[in-house]
Amino acid sequence: MTTVALSAYILMWPVVVAVVLFVISRAFFREWAEARRNGRGLI
Amino acid sequence: MDGVETAQFSAVVVVGLLVFFYGGTFLISTRIGKKDENADGYMTGGNNIGFGISAASMTATWIWASSMYASATSGYTYGISGPIHYGLWGALMILFIYPFGKRIRAVAPKAHTLAEVMYVRHGRSSQLMLAGSNIVGSLISLMSNFIAGGVLISLLSPFNFTQGVFAVAAGVLLYTLWSGFRASVLTDFVQVVAMLGAVAVIVPFIFFAAGFPAAFETGAGNLTPQQGDFFSSDAFMQQGAPYIAAVLAYAIGNQTIAQRLFAVKQSLIKPTFVTATIGYGAMVIGVGMLGVLALYLGFEPAGGDLNNLIPGMAAEYLPTALLAVFFIMIIGALSSTADSDLSALSSIMMADVYGQNVAGKEKADPRTMLLIGRITMVLATAAAVAFASLQLSILDLLVFVGALWGALVFPVLASFYWEKVTGRAFTTSVLVALAVFLPVRFGWISVDGPFGIVVDVLSVIGIGVVLGLMAFGFFGAGVAKIVGVLATLVSAPFAIGSLHEYATLCGSLVAYSVSTVICWAMSAGQKERFDFAVIAQRTGDFDDGSAARAARDDAGAAVPRQAADTGTGAPDRAGDARTGAPGRAGDADGEPEPAARK
Repeated sequence: MTTVALSAYILMWPVVVAVVLFVISRAFFREWAEARRNGRGLI
Repeated sequence: MDGVETAQFSAVVVVGLLVFFYGGTFLISTRIGKKDENADGYMTGGNNIGFGISAASMTATWIWASSMYASATSGYTYGISGPIHYGLWGALMILFIYPFGKRIRAVAPKAHTLAEVMYVRHGRSSQLMLAGSNIVGSLISLMSNFIAGGVLISLLSPFNFTQGVFAVAAGVLLYTLWSGFRASVLTDFVQVVAMLGAVAVIVPFIFFAAGFPAAFETGAGNLTPQQGDFFSSDAFMQQGAPYIAAVLAYAIGNQTIAQRLFAVKQSLIKPTFVTATIGYGAMVIGVGMLGVLALYLGFEPAGGDLNNLIPGMAAEYLPTALLAVFFIMIIGALSSTADSDLSALSSIMMADVYGQNVAGKEKADPRTMLLIGRITMVLATAAAVAFASLQLSILDLLVFVGALWGALVFPVLASFYWEKVTGRAFTTSVLVALAVFLPVRFGWISVDGPFGIVVDVLSVIGIGVVLGLMAFGFFGAGVAKIVGVLATLVSAPFAIGSLHEYATLCGSLVAYSVSTVICWAMSAGQKERFDFAVIAQRTGDFDDGSAARAARDDAGAAVPRQAADTGTGAPDRAGDARTGAPGRAGDADGEPEPAARK
């Protein structure tokens, strides 16, 4: 592998992690807001 | 750990970080705490949890401290493909089991444990096999996570290993004890944010701080040709292949996963599992890349212990603030799995031991169940702390539990799809598979002679079983049979004669193949057919049982008595047998299944 390819290979995982973190967090806060609107518990 | 204690934090800072983390999670758990907890909520959170929490919880539970250490070790040992052969296969197993998860929820929408379903399907022996394997597996996992916490704290602070173990154990128990599974999944969200956020920052930071990408060229000489090869056969045969076989078994057999499967809203199973697949894979592979960087740098872990690799890299290249973030990341990883283990253990004792085998489902008192669940958590924590000091071989114990679950995979899955599978076939196939696994895995019989060929043939069949099961979940029985047969035929010429040299891989594969062949052979000729609708009737909520109603009556709630005759309101075709009480509807050994058969 070239240096550029190796760098991309190493650094792509933190980027994917950040995307998943965004997706999960957005869903969580939407569910939280909806639960509060409906006056029920989150779980 | 002798000689490697390098205090990076003062005692005050470490205590502050632990109070911040465990105090914070405890405060969060108090937000959902109820004075009168509900037994079903304590086990599954009401079977209606949304995508955000369930995806976070599935991701956090599947990631444990050992998975990060092992992924980095794999990168350090096998080179650039090493983390892939740890993290990718572990992640894909979450993906591969979601079709099975959908089927399991369709058959048993309100169940709490897989063992509970097996009790209805086959009777006590199958239930106890699953429950017993999970008790052992969760205790080992709990112990392993406490050990990881003790090692981390002893490495990065003036505190010793024992003090670290006690601090982590007390912290996890503090926030899990009262609300059980509900606290576990809610705090999983915070823990997953800490873990994923830390990886997103720490891996790039170390990458640049350690002098990459230039170090790829200066350190290239530190890699062997196999370590520098993305398609390394060493990495696949030594790490990837055994792991594929092992984690499929873990994903199917492990109650921590099953518990989340029963908790998530049924329509959200697929997105939850897909997100957890990507989250787990990226996180664990990302951390594993620190091992690859260490290999290029020629970094030597303290004391030659590979478990010190990640903490060592962090201590070497991270500033104090990010080292604190790293500390929280590891504590979050081990705590999220430890609280899941506590919840799994308490559910098994509540539902499988007390609910099904002691009181009987209809007579089970939810208040007693809650008490049993909490006592279980305290005792399990104490046992895990005690075992942590014994320095048992965690790897050997995990291999054994993995093989037990490997032997269970086909019988368990077949029991959800194939109405011909009997309790006798289930039990016999698992026991024989274990009897064959043990001499193969631990080399009790020489594999140099004919036994080696037998092992190879069984292992090749095992390859077909593993790949066939994966295909079955997505494409059905027809495609699965083709994939299974093709996999067996294609691998046979390469594997027979040499595969027995890989004892770990062969051990898992023979467990799969033997249990599958025997279970199939004993079930195929059966005339009796199981009615899957019975499972939903017998695995309903405990808080709807007559004991729960009596308790509510005692408390002054006006509940019509006739409701007690119909339980959850589901048609009671099996009559008294729906309680699952041994001896009522079943045969002499307490097996309830005849009542469930047409």
